[in-house]
Amino acid sequence: MGPDVTWYLVVAALLFSIGTLGVLLRRSPLIVLLSLEIMLNSANLALISFSRLHGDHDGQIFALAVMAVAASEVVVGLGLIVAVARRKLVLDVDRFRVLRG
Amino acid sequence: MIDAPKVDWLALSPTLALLAAAGVALLASVIGPAWFRRGFAAFVTFGGFVTAGVLAGFLFDRSPDAQPLLNESMTRDRWAALAAIVLAGAGALSVLVSWGETRRDHAGEYYALLAAAGAGMVFFVGASNLMTLFLGLEWFSLALYILCALDTHRATSLEAGLKYLIVGSFGSGILLFGSALVYGATGELGFAEIAAAGVTDDSLLLAGLAMIVAGLGFKASAAPFHMWTPDVYQGAPTSVTAFMSAATKVAALVLTLRVLTVAFPEQEHLWTVAVAVIAIVSLAVGNIAALVQRDVKRLLAYSSVSHAGFMLIAVAANSPLGGRALLYYLIPYSAMSIGSFAVVAARERELGAPVTLDNLGGFLWERPFLGASMWVFLLGLMGMPLTGGLVGKFYVFSAAYESGWWWLVVAGVIGTAISLYYYLRVLLAMWTRPEPTALRPVVAGGSPPRDPLLASAVFASFAVTIGSFFFVQPLIDLARDAADSLPF
Repeated sequence: MGPDVTWYLVVAALLFSIGTLGVLLRRSPLIVLLSLEIMLNSANLALISFSRLHGDHDGQIFALAVMAVAASEVVVGLGLIVAVARRKLVLDVDRFRVLRG
Repeated sequence: MIDAPKVDWLALSPTLALLAAAGVALLASVIGPAWFRRGFAAFVTFGGFVTAGVLAGFLFDRSPDAQPLLNESMTRDRWAALAAIVLAGAGALSVLVSWGETRRDHAGEYYALLAAAGAGMVFFVGASNLMTLFLGLEWFSLALYILCALDTHRATSLEAGLKYLIVGSFGSGILLFGSALVYGATGELGFAEIAAAGVTDDSLLLAGLAMIVAGLGFKASAAPFHMWTPDVYQGAPTSVTAFMSAATKVAALVLTLRVLTVAFPEQEHLWTVAVAVIAIVSLAVGNIAALVQRDVKRLLAYSSVSHAGFMLIAVAANSPLGGRALLYYLIPYSAMSIGSFAVVAARERELGAPVTLDNLGGFLWERPFLGASMWVFLLGLMGMPLTGGLVGKFYVFSAAYESGWWWLVVAGVIGTAISLYYYLRVLLAMWTRPEPTALRPVVAGGSPPRDPLLASAVFASFAVTIGSFFFVQPLIDLARDAADSLPF
């Protein structure tokens, strides 16, 4: 008998908050990308624990699909970061201000 | 003999046509000889969009009743089919706009990505399950991230791509976590099953619903989730901006209304208010921020934020009339949006510099056809008579009024009044000839070659903008048939 589903959910929510704060506060695009992955994986954890709770497999299949999506997102993200680095732009999201939001 | 599920190929055919076009264009631009790549990829992609549009037309004709597809993960109905027709039209016009863009490399891959993004959007509007929703969203978003950053020699393009990737993925992360919470509360992923589960006041479900609305808000570039819009619209290649401004908005709004009405009918009293608030914030932020812009692409980006607000008013109405108004409005809006960015693209190629209010001087007289079309597009975005923009706004307001949202109508009218100011500034800039005091240096090589494809895209957008005013009734009937397949 493992811990209750609430605990899994608490961990997932905690990971999601860490990821969100990372995206909002960190300045290196690499760390931002990492935080995005943490956000997606916190959702995966929630999906899998709910899937076990409900006793059906939909959530687990969803989590597998999300992993594939997360991987492709990292591919695009790292590709862009390499392209930026090659052009010797500063890797700091706060300094990306040719376009001011 | 295994017991395979029946696959309704006609219902998937628009997506498959675009996917095939993307595959062929990508292969050709990798293994084909260099001279052959760009032309072939553009031709195949254009063909893919036209085929997808025709197939979606068939689909519209042959699916009067909504049917579930692929183990209920997709829906075959007129709502998705009409949206797919609009998306295919937007894609085909964008191919025409893109042709004149001289790109040093990746000329073929550009078109392959455009077709892939279109395929993702057509898939996305048919989604009826939280998983297909997320996968469709990421499918077209990933293609768009790359398209934005494709001009790697321009720092702004890379910056736009990276910003879009970060903010877009942040939005999809929120959407995904919301989906997980809804799944946890109901034990279901399908939209109809979520509603059938009968969970009404569960805090997990409500938190999930809020996060799904926020995630879709990022894609529709509604305020306060619009921060990426001006930067990405400005930095991305203009032809990509044209496609994105029309197609992403169509896909995101059409699916927003579907997911809210099908999956969350019990929480109607909550999400209509949330959508109404987002609509008001979008109208305020979009219209006020546009007042101080001098870069025309940024100005149009803020105008697109305010239009997201207008269309969300139709979503908040949550009525058959609202669905009809949304789908009708998206038709002239897409045309006006693609058309205006196409004219900006033409001017940009002419100047070799970003288009601002200062270098538009006398454009109406220098290029009468493009200038006059731009006037029509902007008058349409204002909501002036003789353009579909007027009818669209009128339908949106009457839907809101019918559902008792009189304060949304007031907000919409105030928003329109503010918007007159910045649209008029552009119109005036194009009208006034610059002072002939100093000789302006001309870009080496004289004026750019004529671009009949871009001109034909502008003409088609012009025709749709005006035509949707004169042929309101047939279009409204189509939108009514489409909206009938949603449960209100």
